Amino acid sequence: MSFDVQMPTSEEGLVSLLSKESSHILAGGTDLLVKIRLKRVIPKTIVSLRHLKGLDRIEDLGDKMRVGCRVTISELLNSEIISRHARILQMALRQIGSPQIRNRATLAGNIINASPAGDSIVAMVLSNASLSIGSANGERYERVVDFIRGPGVTTLSRGEFVKSITFEKTDVLFPQFHKVGQRNSMAISVASVGSLTSESEIRLAFGSVAPTVVVPIDACEYYSAEIDSFDEERFVELAMKCVTPIDDVRATAWYRTTVVRNLIHRTLKVWRKKGYNAV
Amino acid sequence: MKISFTLNNERFSIDVIEDMRLLDFLRDELGLTGTKEGCGEGECGACTVIIDGKAVNSCLVLLPEIDGSEVTTIEGLSKDGELDTIQKAFVDQGAVQCGFCTPGMIMSAKALLDKNDSPSDEEIMEAIEGNLCRCTGYYKIVQAIKAAAENLRNTNGK
Ligand SMILES: Cc1cc2nc3c(=O)[nH]c(=O)nc-3n(C[C@@H](O)[C@@H](O)[C@H](O)COP(=O)(O)OP(=O)(O)OC[C@H]3O[C@@H](n4cnc5c(N)ncnc54)[C@H](O)[C@@H]3O)c2cc1C
Ligand code: FES
Ligand code: FES
Repeated sequence: MSFDVQMPTSEEGLVSLLSKESSHILAGGTDLLVKIRLKRVIPKTIVSLRHLKGLDRIEDLGDKMRVGCRVTISELLNSEIISRHARILQMALRQIGSPQIRNRATLAGNIINASPAGDSIVAMVLSNASLSIGSANGERYERVVDFIRGPGVTTLSRGEFVKSITFEKTDVLFPQFHKVGQRNSMAISVASVGSLTSESEIRLAFGSVAPTVVVPIDACEYYSAEIDSFDEERFVELAMKCVTPIDDVRATAWYRTTVVRNLIHRTLKVWRKKGYNAV
Repeated sequence: MKISFTLNNERFSIDVIEDMRLLDFLRDELGLTGTKEGCGEGECGACTVIIDGKAVNSCLVLLPEIDGSEVTTIEGLSKDGELDTIQKAFVDQGAVQCGFCTPGMIMSAKALLDKNDSPSDEEIMEAIEGNLCRCTGYYKIVQAIKAAAENLRNTNGK
């Protein structure tokens, strides 16, 4: 390792440091420091958010909520408003790493890392989240589904940083998050299925079964259109169209496909019984 | 870069090497070798220390990040040569075999018990889910943390 570390206190200071070549933001460091160690990232400058003023709050905006880029996963899990209005996010965050990881890792970092297995991404996509992205030119807004372009690839360009994440409150929808991993909570998932359900609507998102977190739009539309003549097999078939898994060190494609199919059936079953004890 | 922090109740205000991990600073610069390196990637918990009341992996913390913080390592627990309650409980309950995971395990237990001296089994398991032990099978570790909690409650007069 050989790099210098900067700790700006203002957004202006941060933005000017980001315009330098090979400068990388350090939030919780739980992805970045692993990548530096593996030499997948070779930084010249590390720009730490540690002394940045602001962007460290969880705010209630009426029908939405906003989370600053410095807010950690532990802080979100301890938040009263999150447990009241964003249970799907809470369920997903509980699955991330260990206490040590959750105490450092940020929600923003998890999204920006753009892993197909990113647990918070599933919840954020389901909650129609968007990002506020700052740069020397001001601010732009982008939906999380558009922001993530591929595994580890986002639309963030040099000089830009994520200021905050805004997402819908989802109190009225029934939340579920099912994850199959190897070792409880440390394992990056083999497959995950998140959902928000009501009588007339279902929102579904899958993790680890395609290059990015994916939403089976056809299946979701079918659910709303065919409330009276709903056919579960047809629904699952439509949902499986966006499942294109790979073989990797954690699981084979065949295993992942089987797992997601079962998790979709379980999602419907739990919804019908309105409780996890139905499983 | 000059930073200020408190380590095991001692104030430091020093120039540090910026691209160094907290783990290497503790072990190589200060000789505090109680904090162990297992995986170096956040998976094993052998390097666990407490920063501002929270358990963290010191292999994933860059040294400048502790500026303004309060850090406790396993060396900060014993007082005047006497082990603290959690350390004693680990010894008494036979929760130590090879001992490599023990400092990290104890720091995770401490972060829990400092906030909650009546944890359920589930809360104990959750607190140590980021700490791997290849020897004990965890049962005695959980027993030790329960015993430590009980001793703490007794000394706190509950
Ligand atoms: C042992 C272990 C277990 C894990 N388990 C899980 C798991 O089960 N599920 C899961 O989803 N993830 C898991 N993770 C990954 C998870 O910890 C990270 O994705 C974390 O959320 C990233 O946040 P961070 O603050 O640590 O980001 P950092 O590592 O600080 O940054 C991540 C990336 O985002 C950039 N960045 C950070 N903040 C900003 C910003 N505001 N603007 C622009 N760029 C920014 C950084 O430059 C870097 O490229 C695990 C990691 C480890 C080490
Ligand atoms: S050495 Fe830090 S978690 Fe393994
Ligand atoms: S006692 Fe040997 S690893 Fe835990």
